[in-house]
Amino acid sequence: MDNGLNNRDRTDSWNSAGGEPDFDTWLGQQLQFSEPYVDDDGFCERVMARLPAPSRRSERRATRVQYAAVVAASTIVAWQFPFDQVFIQAVQQSISLYSLVGVGILTSLAAMAGGIFAARR
Amino acid sequence: MDLNDEDLIRRVVEDGDQRAYAHLVRRYQSQLRFSLRQLCDGDQALADDMAQEAFIKAYKALPAFRGDARFSTWLYRIAYNLVMSYRRKKSPEVDQEAVDRAQQEESVEEAQQLGMARDLNSAMEELSEAQRQAVHLCMQRGFSHEEAASIMKLPLGTVKSHVNRARAKLQTLLQAWREEVVSG
Repeated sequence: MDNGLNNRDRTDSWNSAGGEPDFDTWLGQQLQFSEPYVDDDGFCERVMARLPAPSRRSERRATRVQYAAVVAASTIVAWQFPFDQVFIQAVQQSISLYSLVGVGILTSLAAMAGGIFAARR
Repeated sequence: MDLNDEDLIRRVVEDGDQRAYAHLVRRYQSQLRFSLRQLCDGDQALADDMAQEAFIKAYKALPAFRGDARFSTWLYRIAYNLVMSYRRKKSPEVDQEAVDRAQQEESVEEAQQLGMARDLNSAMEELSEAQRQAVHLCMQRGFSHEEAASIMKLPLGTVKSHVNRARAKLQTLLQAWREEVVSG
């Protein structure tokens, strides 16, 4: 197996300390270069399969963060939405106030549900 | 994007993100398993079992990890404790078949290696186990003397002494090779 260090590199590392061989540096390099990489070979999967489920506390914390993000996004959308113009249009079109409120609530619920679904994905 | 250990640990602890832990396992599995194979006298199956236990124990204890040491140091300490505890419980019997198998594989690999690596392995075999471990941790893994002392549960002075004695012995054992390389 090639340890990746040619003779010139070796000689350089020997001479790196003012003409005196830097033994520690050279030894460290040799030990590292002569070490094979141990293939994972399913090791990681075996470890992951034996891990306990994440704690409910951390799950709840992650969920709270997702809900906070969705509420913040909904607030920004609501702030930018031209409710006054829609209301005026609705009055002009003779749409009842009750049906307008219903549509608004349904739309908000749909947007929040979509946001939560997307965040969980 | 390659996240550092601290970010991955934060994800595991705060979000329960097991994929982040899988990153850590993949990052350290080769080094840890190789180190433990040396510590288990070549018994690869035992070393892998110990490495697996160490990763699982580390995962469970991760919320208590304060970050005042590197994750790798902490992981090694857990792994070394496991092996030492196993050795104390079990008499120093070694799975001889596994050792023979490993040595056979090693000898095939050694035959393919250049002379330097083979000489280095032979020289390392001449060291005492504690000296070998100290050299492995400090010179091969790059841990400081303090970190190695913490992992091996030995006084700092003892670890320094092991490293110094090992260094002197290795310098003597590799003297012939050194002269050959320096003279070109």
